[in-house]
Amino acid sequence: MASRGPRRLTWSALLEGRTIWTRNAVVGTSVYGERRRRFKGIEHRRWDPTRSKLAAALVRAHGNKERLLPERGESILYLGAGHGTTISHLHDLICGERGEEGGRIIAVDLSPRCLRDLNHLASTRPGILPILADARMHSRWGMMLPHKINWMLQDVSQAGQAAMFLEAAHRCLASGGTALLSLKAASERWSDEGEKALFVAVEEELEQGGLIVEEVLNLHGLQDNHRMFVTRMP
Amino acid sequence: MWLWYDWRSAAVADDTGLIHDSESWDGWNSISAVVSRLELMANSALIPEAKKLAQRFPDAKIRAHGDNDLPAADWPLPSDEALAALDSASLRMSEMGVDAAAGDKDRRLEHLLRASDELRSSLVTMEARLVEWVGLFLPKLRFEDDREGVIEGVTKVGSIQELADLFEISAPEEGPTSEEWNVIQSWGQATSDSSVRLVSIEESIKELVNDYLPSACLLLGPMLAARLCVEAHGRARLARLPSGTVQILGAEKAFFNHLKNGDLPPKHGHIFMHPWISRSPHWVRGKISRLVASKTSIAVRCDHFGGETWSEEAIAEIAQRVETIKLEHPSPPRR
Repeated sequence: MASRGPRRLTWSALLEGRTIWTRNAVVGTSVYGERRRRFKGIEHRRWDPTRSKLAAALVRAHGNKERLLPERGESILYLGAGHGTTISHLHDLICGERGEEGGRIIAVDLSPRCLRDLNHLASTRPGILPILADARMHSRWGMMLPHKINWMLQDVSQAGQAAMFLEAAHRCLASGGTALLSLKAASERWSDEGEKALFVAVEEELEQGGLIVEEVLNLHGLQDNHRMFVTRMP
Repeated sequence: MWLWYDWRSAAVADDTGLIHDSESWDGWNSISAVVSRLELMANSALIPEAKKLAQRFPDAKIRAHGDNDLPAADWPLPSDEALAALDSASLRMSEMGVDAAAGDKDRRLEHLLRASDELRSSLVTMEARLVEWVGLFLPKLRFEDDREGVIEGVTKVGSIQELADLFEISAPEEGPTSEEWNVIQSWGQATSDSSVRLVSIEESIKELVNDYLPSACLLLGPMLAARLCVEAHGRARLARLPSGTVQILGAEKAFFNHLKNGDLPPKHGHIFMHPWISRSPHWVRGKISRLVASKTSIAVRCDHFGGETWSEEAIAEIAQRVETIKLEHPSPPRR
């Protein structure tokens, strides 16, 4: 009989039914009140898809979901880090306990309120590098990435998200690297054609900007009015 | 020729990526020194090494690390130790940035104003409850004119009997038990404490607004100036709003009903609190609020962009114009 236990996505992420778990880098603590559970004696934290757009995209993606995730020990860029919900799970994935996997997360956000939480998170999770800056100001975070990287995510609620995303991707993404854009329809200027037309226009803009759009995941139900664009640098 | 630089080094290379010269800084063991470098870069200034090379190669095009114009070359990238120093420095810098946010007067004003709103609404409820409560036991007490006197009396005396004596009315036949009286009295104490606290909140709003929005404070009074600033999400945004928007800030519901259903547009929002508007007859209120709103826009712009602070005379001139409007329209327009 086939085993009905959790399926391994990466070294630290498990998929159990429709629930994602990541190996807790700081055992015994939750970051945002999420559930914790032991699998084979190792503590994992539940990655809530209604709180994190990346988790929602993982739930919605078909086939091998791990293609959306960064590798362990990598440097990654996260624009629009927010309060650190997603960041904490990315830390589980690439930095591990006490940051010993060596991964670095450049977490950029422009709200001091969010940075307060991120700084607190960084104190227990080495490898998270919060930066208080506008994501468009490359001079504020560009020096943190001496080499091109393979994974970035942008989740800002500002107008002109696609243009920002293209600029950042061309600056720091290596050839073949994955770039995820979580697009919030409500942040863009509204046109009469509505949400669908907006998403199509963004997809075209990304293609013309030199990225390959591999898929567009509809996060409806988990994160309303959001799409996750999965793109690759040629 | 290209001049490349990051936070630590600078180098000059030709179009083929051949490095001609490079300069590196090795003072990165001190975190605070790295922080000041990062601040330099955040302001888009050149690091000293890049300046040095720019003098040696005046024709080289200067580009920061990561710029796509640069040719592929073996740039002198930081070592792992230097990178670790950079990581600690960036953490320190973001902590400093968060600390600096405490100086954000918009945030401080918002907390003060919301605190005063919350306290006022609870104070009104508590006061009403106390007055009704005491009135139940002393039905002869006429407290409509002097609610504060009732609160003060309750906190001072030791029983309902003494309270009756204080107001020179006959004592009730059925009084509260001593335990019940204690509850009433502590309720009265809490009410009077709240009103003292409210006064101190408003004092501190006045102090902050006087410093932060001096011209608007003179024109509108501290509470209204604070209200507009908070509702506009900060002074910077208030200074950029058109005065038509300033005029109806706080009347969003009426305004969107106007857009949606074609109802009459609102004449005023929060600005109605201004005595020039609220104490004027209804047929001139729209005209006066238009005037006050446009003057508010100018005053806030003076405050925000470092213009001259308005004087009492300037305000008196506006007051004169308000009077003129009222004189020009002494009676309601005929239908």
